[in-house]
Amino acid sequence: MSIAMAERAKLEALRARFGAAIRRADLPGNGRMFVTVDPAAIREICRHVFREMGARYVISIGADDRPFSGEFLVAHNFAFDGDGVLCGLLAHLPGDRPALDSISDVVPAANWAEREFRDLVGIEPMGHRYPKRLVLPDGWPEGVHPLRKDVSWDDVPKDFDEDLEFKFDEAPDGCVVVPFGPFHPTLDEPAHFRLYVEGEMVRGCEYRGFMAHRGIEKLAESVLSYNDIPMMAERICGICGCVHSVAYVQAVEDAAGVRVPERAEYIRTIMLEMERLHSHLLWVGLACHIVGFDTLFMQSFRIREPIMWMAERMTGNRKTYALCLVGGVRWDIAPETGAALRGVLDTLEKEWRGVVDAVTGDRNIQARTRGVGVAGPDLVKDVGLVGPVARASGVAIDCRRDHPYAAYGRVAFEVITERGGDVWSRIVVRMKEVFESIGIIRQCLDKMSPGPIQARVDDELPVGRMGLSSVEAPRGEAHHFLVTGEGNRPRRWRVRAPTYQNLQGVPAMIRDQQLADMTIALGSIDPCFSCTDRMETVDVRSGLRRTWTQEDLVRLLKKGGA
Amino acid sequence: MSFLEIEPFRIALYVVGALAFVGANAAYLVWVERKAAGRFQRRAGPTEVGPAGLLQPVADAIKLMSKQIIVPPGSDALLFRIAPVMVMAPALMCFATIPFSDSIVARNIDVGLLMIFAFGSINVMAVMLGGWASRNKYAIISAARVVSQNVAYEIPMLLTVITMLMVAGTLNLHEIVKQQEAGFWAWNIFRLGTNPLMPVTFVIFFTCMLAETNRAPFDMAEAESELVAGAYTEYSGMGFGVFFMGEYANIVIGCAVATVLFLGGWGSPVGFLPGVWWFLAKMYFLIFTVIWIRWTFPRTQFYGLLNLSWKILIPFSLATLVLTSIVMKIPRMF
Repeated sequence: MSIAMAERAKLEALRARFGAAIRRADLPGNGRMFVTVDPAAIREICRHVFREMGARYVISIGADDRPFSGEFLVAHNFAFDGDGVLCGLLAHLPGDRPALDSISDVVPAANWAEREFRDLVGIEPMGHRYPKRLVLPDGWPEGVHPLRKDVSWDDVPKDFDEDLEFKFDEAPDGCVVVPFGPFHPTLDEPAHFRLYVEGEMVRGCEYRGFMAHRGIEKLAESVLSYNDIPMMAERICGICGCVHSVAYVQAVEDAAGVRVPERAEYIRTIMLEMERLHSHLLWVGLACHIVGFDTLFMQSFRIREPIMWMAERMTGNRKTYALCLVGGVRWDIAPETGAALRGVLDTLEKEWRGVVDAVTGDRNIQARTRGVGVAGPDLVKDVGLVGPVARASGVAIDCRRDHPYAAYGRVAFEVITERGGDVWSRIVVRMKEVFESIGIIRQCLDKMSPGPIQARVDDELPVGRMGLSSVEAPRGEAHHFLVTGEGNRPRRWRVRAPTYQNLQGVPAMIRDQQLADMTIALGSIDPCFSCTDRMETVDVRSGLRRTWTQEDLVRLLKKGGA
Repeated sequence: MSFLEIEPFRIALYVVGALAFVGANAAYLVWVERKAAGRFQRRAGPTEVGPAGLLQPVADAIKLMSKQIIVPPGSDALLFRIAPVMVMAPALMCFATIPFSDSIVARNIDVGLLMIFAFGSINVMAVMLGGWASRNKYAIISAARVVSQNVAYEIPMLLTVITMLMVAGTLNLHEIVKQQEAGFWAWNIFRLGTNPLMPVTFVIFFTCMLAETNRAPFDMAEAESELVAGAYTEYSGMGFGVFFMGEYANIVIGCAVATVLFLGGWGSPVGFLPGVWWFLAKMYFLIFTVIWIRWTFPRTQFYGLLNLSWKILIPFSLATLVLTSIVMKIPRMF
């Protein structure tokens, strides 16, 4: 069944079931569906789509559309992975009363996303079971929602109490609270877990994150322009930056109908796979460090280094490649660079085989990771786990295959799955994916033909169009939602990093586990907090030395941005 | 009468000697460990301070000594300060009775072995006190781990020591070595006539020694990725430095005792060189093995560690004990 037919079939099914509650539908025929529904029926429609039609929950977006239509907008995005369809269920809410039914009791994965639009856009998810603040700190005044269009990007509310301590939930009876983070040797970025520990067993936890929220989305909507944003997007994450930059430009291209030259698609694919290579190598090293096996940690980093050098040779940087623009890429791959890349891949393949043998042959690592941090297929579905975490539980989802983008439709590769659902399975999945990535890069190098790498974009991009883009990051699906806007910049851009969903599964994975297993269970989702928070590490108080105040930062931003 | 036979000189000489030996070992074993770890991981290790990084321990010592010792508010200040001393002092005491050669021993005590284990077990309490006094959750969890780990490993260790006692018939370390002087076939590890499981006994003893000294793969107490620095989290400057030295001193003692009990002490397998060099060679080989193991195996899980002790080491050490008694007693019955 073609994608267009699958879309029509889905729409017919929805119409037959809900009739007039389906108000409008756009089927552009490229694997995207935008269905405008009656806000009163949103909960039931989402339940039907999620439970009965078997869709995977992706993300919920809240947007302030008042300057254009006088309404607020909520989109619940779902993916039909088997049919290659990404579907947005849209609800328009009156500008004076932004509230709609919470779907998080029927779609548990929507928990965070609803709390986020409650914080940032001020749309109330009615009946949400845990309506605590997610993104905004407790000292932020009530009623100020930063992503609303009437709040300026550089505005700090006068009564913002920066130093107010967070209010935490009560720990259960008989449990001691062990803080894990914001600063801890195994956390590379700030996040705070309050673990409820009984003896050596973890009974639950509370998560407070979003400590490095940079407001990138707000900047994109108010200061930057279409082609500035890719450079900002890749600074969302220190490891999978290229993923966000590609996902963003694809969302714009999807919304505006820009066609990308074939060679540019191959180059994007190659860089994405390079990123997967160095990310997985880094992760296997870190996992070994967490279980106390520093020798393999050092080996992984040694093997990984040539990839970084290669990336530097191809783009000028080890990271933040500044690769993508709307309509193409900025760096071409010269024939001699391609040859050097093949050499690096050959060495990597050989050396990585050695590491894989060492890890799979080590009974200690297996004893340490088998049966730890288990996530079954039900948890994957309910919480919307993605990437290697889902694949390690036997759920074969991979955007590269299910929603092909860039050149992935033209290369052959295998989606690696395991059955165990535990940390060990995640290690195995990631180790095997390295070989698939090597294969993909080789195929791209073979199939690439000379040609332009950038499409001409002469006209202004159309206004008010929606674009969706899912890119398989090393950690899972990175999803970008975008509404094109006036002034050469988007109206709304929402980034959902894979860790955003995977982190929500962590409390279930660590419950009733040994405290000693907590770090590797958390580590096994390969958490990336800055991705999730979408922020830059800007530490403020360094005592006697240089203190970056908020004013300094704002001034710097003004200098750079405007 | 040489001046060595005048008692106060002897004592002064040995105190200075033991201090210097422990200090030099603690400092340079760190260097050896970092160099060895570097080689295992295909890196260079320390290279900057002095030739081949040889002055690195000196730089580290100066750094640690010049740092402020911070006593965290709310901690038990007295216990907090005493704990490092309680790690170091008993370790020094143990050196009093270790025979480095036929003629080099501070005090040839008849209950030398007992004394070493008596002082050795104070170490556990000191780490626990340090963790407890810090008023830090990581430190307290670590202290609890140290206690259960050491209780679990003290048992098989002492069971193997009892086995050795039955074979040797004395607690005097000097005597124990004397019995093994005939050649390397007379070393206790190869005396299969008294107990066919002797090499196993040695492996059990060595494993327990690793666990007792909180070395990887049994370094639960300071599992960095879980407990920051475990019981030592709140210690700064030389407070931490002394704990660190204590750890290495305990490794040296453990390996020295293993050398005496199983590897024939200063006895030479081939004859040349004075005995003390052979003793040191055997001891440092064991120490190198300890380092080697650390960089080869991942850390075990805490309950895995306890399982290893209660389900494997204790039954096996009991078995060797019973077996030895049978082998020794049965011929005499006829």
